[in-house]
Amino acid sequence: MPHLVVENLTKVYERGKIRALFNVSFSVEKGEFLVLIGLSGSGKSTLLRCINRLVEPTSGRIFLNGVELTKLSPRAMRKVRRKIGMVFQQFNLVKRATVLQNVLAGRLGYNSTLSTLLGRFPKEDLRRAQECLERVGLLDKMYVRADQLSGGQQQRVGIARALMQEPELLLADEPVSALDPATSHSVMQYIEQINKDGVTVIASLHFLSLARRYGQRIIALKAGEIVFDGLPEAIDDRKFKEIYGEEAEEVEVR
Amino acid sequence: MRTFFAEAALLESLREIPARVGWALRIKILPALLDLTFLAYVWAATNATYSYFRFGFLSFSLLPWWWMVIVVVAVGAMWSAWDQTLGMKVVNRELSGETDFASRFLYAVLWPFFPLALLTAPFDPKARTPGELLAELTLTEVRLITYRPWYRTLTGWLALIAILSTLGAAVGVTKVEPGRLVTGFEKTIKFWRAIFSPRWDLLGLGLKLLGETVFMAIMATAFAVPIAVLLSFLAARNLMRGPLGRLIYVILRMIGSFTRSVDAVIWAIIFAVWVGTGSFAGVLALFVHSIVDLMKLYAEQIEAIDPGPVEAITATGANHLQVLRYAVIPQIINPFLSFTLYRWDINVRMATVVGMVGGGGIGFRLIQYLRSWAFPEATVLTILIILMVWALDWLSARLRAKLA
Repeated sequence: MPHLVVENLTKVYERGKIRALFNVSFSVEKGEFLVLIGLSGSGKSTLLRCINRLVEPTSGRIFLNGVELTKLSPRAMRKVRRKIGMVFQQFNLVKRATVLQNVLAGRLGYNSTLSTLLGRFPKEDLRRAQECLERVGLLDKMYVRADQLSGGQQQRVGIARALMQEPELLLADEPVSALDPATSHSVMQYIEQINKDGVTVIASLHFLSLARRYGQRIIALKAGEIVFDGLPEAIDDRKFKEIYGEEAEEVEVR
Repeated sequence: MRTFFAEAALLESLREIPARVGWALRIKILPALLDLTFLAYVWAATNATYSYFRFGFLSFSLLPWWWMVIVVVAVGAMWSAWDQTLGMKVVNRELSGETDFASRFLYAVLWPFFPLALLTAPFDPKARTPGELLAELTLTEVRLITYRPWYRTLTGWLALIAILSTLGAAVGVTKVEPGRLVTGFEKTIKFWRAIFSPRWDLLGLGLKLLGETVFMAIMATAFAVPIAVLLSFLAARNLMRGPLGRLIYVILRMIGSFTRSVDAVIWAIIFAVWVGTGSFAGVLALFVHSIVDLMKLYAEQIEAIDPGPVEAITATGANHLQVLRYAVIPQIINPFLSFTLYRWDINVRMATVVGMVGGGGIGFRLIQYLRSWAFPEATVLTILIILMVWALDWLSARLRAKLA
């Protein structure tokens, strides 16, 4: 059984009547590293957000481990979200809070509302937070305010927050678009390591070179529809122009 | 089928009527009315200036009123035909077509009948005024900006006349007479002498009253904050989605701006009647004002939060309360504290003013002293107020810098 199945997914934004996704279907095996590519506005972010239902799909079905997510109540969906980590282009950390507080937020779904409202987390979670921060090499920044960190460091905190959820699926929405090339690779390698530990990863990436380097499989979106689904090697010059338009030139990120 | 489509088209065009009339009002009628109002004002101001400086009395219309009507309409017509008027500038239009003297003259003659455009407006998506129709000139959107120095345009001269006559009329209306500053000075000598001999034995009483004023501010702020925090979430546009939410938002914002526009001094007068003069009336006035002021400041802060963390915390599987606690509150807590301090600082200063109209505290005593010409006593209180305001300003600025 595939880990994630997306069937005929369509999303129309009511305001402005924009069709972001149209009839998108694919499935992902457990432990796969899938990369989404496509121009800005091609529907990559919407697709990722439909999977954990930050965005409600207009029609279509999504299954995770055979459970139909699109049918779940909000409460049941929150339970499922705990197992779906997400990292964002703009990191989305609470800038005024410390690194530790940001990382601990990854455990909110596992703890009771009352104790988390009082700011209390079990000892176990604190230990786990230290572990996660150690994994991304930021243990010494635990008590530093998030806005004191560089972009790359902030994204690693974002990864640590996702790790806290003990995810089985990691959604990465352009995780390195706001970073310079060298930092991009360092962040991508952390994500690759998580994938090697058995977590299914779906990442949207801007640069084809990054997609080729890290993706086991690539899905290309154009105007909300899948125009390519296959191995990275199968994207030749003609296919590239079809995805990105005739004007495009491939740019390397080394 | 044919009739069905014809009816549908008719229905469609009926539905367009409000938009068409609105367009005609906005583009054809209101600019002309604006120009007429402006010219009528210039007439009044020039008349006031001339009469004040020539005859020494103020008259806004030296000639009979129908003279004003004739002059204003005539100037308005010429202005509209030969230049881009103020109203045309506002809606970004200019006269285009065969702009020779004859058509401009015809346009000017017909200009006073511009309201007739409203007659055809319901049926014509591009309604035209009689001038436009017969002189074959149209108001079109400005395409080429032809630069002319202001002194080569009628609009420029009218603006200059408006500015100068406004200043002239203002001098007349406020009866500015610098000479009186010199001739009246000796009457104030007693006052200056009193000011420089403060009654320092009143210091104890002054400090007590000062304390009362500070506590008035603390009371008003402390009770206003929790209410304002609750209301601010309901008055934040990004949280209040859906029709019911939007309705609550609009109502709260309307009540807020209405209450805020009534000055705290007026609230103090109202409450002095309601609960009797004294500190309590002052506290209530500051309380009401603080609630709506803080509600607006807080709500704007909530509206300005970064939605990213909200999305990220939601994605971890947190519920609404947890999202509020971990994504929203960390972003707003410092600005909220900062605004609270700022408001408290304002309240201390306003408590003095509010006191003067019956709100108790040091202001109430100060105005009593001033009314009974007890200047040595008033000086002590004034010095105390100045010191307090200065100290609070400094303190709250320091604290707020820490919170940023």
